[in-house]
Amino acid sequence: MTTDVTEVTVEELAALMKKAAGVTVDPQELERRVDTPFGEFGLDSLGLLGIVGELENRHGRALPTDAERCKSPRAFLDLVNGALTTGA
Amino acid sequence: MSGRGTRHTAVTGLGVVAPNGLDADTYWKSVKEGASVLDRITREGCEHLPLRVAGEVRGFDPSALIEETFLVQTDKFTHFALAAADAALQDAGLSSSAADSPYSVGVVTAAGSGGGEFGQRELQKLWGQGSRFVGPYQSIAWFYAASTGQISIRKGFKGPCGVVASDEAGGLDAVAHAARAVHRGTEVVVVGAAEAPLAPYSGVCQLGYPELSTEADPDRAYRPFTAAACGFVPAEGGAVLVVEDLERARRRDAFVRATVAGHAATFTGASRWDRSREGLAHAIRGALDEAGCAPEEIDVVFADAMGIPEADRAEALALADALGPHGTRVPVTAPKTGIGRSYCGAPLLDIVAAVQAMEHGQIPPTPGVFDICHDIDLVTARPRPAELRTALVLSRGLMGSNAALVLRRGPGPAR
Repeated sequence: MTTDVTEVTVEELAALMKKAAGVTVDPQELERRVDTPFGEFGLDSLGLLGIVGELENRHGRALPTDAERCKSPRAFLDLVNGALTTGA
Repeated sequence: MSGRGTRHTAVTGLGVVAPNGLDADTYWKSVKEGASVLDRITREGCEHLPLRVAGEVRGFDPSALIEETFLVQTDKFTHFALAAADAALQDAGLSSSAADSPYSVGVVTAAGSGGGEFGQRELQKLWGQGSRFVGPYQSIAWFYAASTGQISIRKGFKGPCGVVASDEAGGLDAVAHAARAVHRGTEVVVVGAAEAPLAPYSGVCQLGYPELSTEADPDRAYRPFTAAACGFVPAEGGAVLVVEDLERARRRDAFVRATVAGHAATFTGASRWDRSREGLAHAIRGALDEAGCAPEEIDVVFADAMGIPEADRAEALALADALGPHGTRVPVTAPKTGIGRSYCGAPLLDIVAAVQAMEHGQIPPTPGVFDICHDIDLVTARPRPAELRTALVLSRGLMGSNAALVLRRGPGPAR
């Protein structure tokens, strides 16, 4: 794991799930259940799309199109952080 | 729906979100007393519009009634519909019965304007910040189908669903559509309409209607059937019903509050109020025919009451055309003069008033209206006690739709 300042944390993802989709999830629980499908948290595909859009606006760059198709928090964070920390 | 058929459609649940009440009983109490809640419009961003008076739903707290996951992806018009659907299901004693047979419950709503407030917010992001700032829920929240979809998703209903977009009178058409679904074998249909047309964008859209009242005095803004008629006052809110097969309702010992007996609809063109006479009369005859109902059996009429002299005249004449001499004798009422017209929600609220009027034996008055200048017996000032077995509900839309619905008083609690 890199400590790059642009990295999206589990805490930030939990806050985004709340903001973009109205899903309340405790960051520690999200950390524990990081391989649980988003659907089980009540996050639908449009909600994840909204999170992707929010992150793209915050970081001023496009994320891979696969980001909105990620099934779990771990898969999403791995993909997004990989793109943010390696992409210029 | 045919009176000659063996299957009848029972109304077993009522849910209301209206300017004069956030539940069906409060709504009825206000309607029965003839109270008017029309007031100066207070919505942010609407203050400068030439639309001055409206029927606002006040004190409605969606976060107390609906989960946040649904709130973030829906407009206010859907919040009203979700809350009214909950209330109707609870009234019908069906709050938690979908899980065992989800395909037996369908949802039908009518919509006339969709989610204007949500849409405006996202469009402002589009033009203010750019397309990347528009949230994905814009793709579903402001469409006419949103309320049907969200009610069915939230409750897990998987029966036949539909959205009727046929102008204001579509509120009555939706009930007929639901009754047909019941005839085809769907056990229960949640049917209704609620609208939220009092956001700035929605308000501006309505300014082009010549029928819109721009009168600033709430007491004078909506006075159909009088020489002072100056248009209609728009409103928020609406109602949802639970309808089901009458035999099924009896089997489960449900309280059958009314039955849907007949319906018909016609189209006569936008703002062609002279022509709506023929269209409305034809719809009334069709509804009576389907109900197997003679004109003299109609005990009360809930009028469309557009508030435009030409339209009011057409409605009064349509009643005489379709009901004969009974048309000038039958009591007519228009409770909506006290709450405004919530477009497709308006005829649903009239249905709820009609059901409760039949239950209580009271014809609610037409608030704020006196000195009638048409040959109809309009009930004014105070409720009129009457034995009510059959009610006729009429509705017209600004785009030219006309519809009539015949309701029969329910047998009451199961025998």
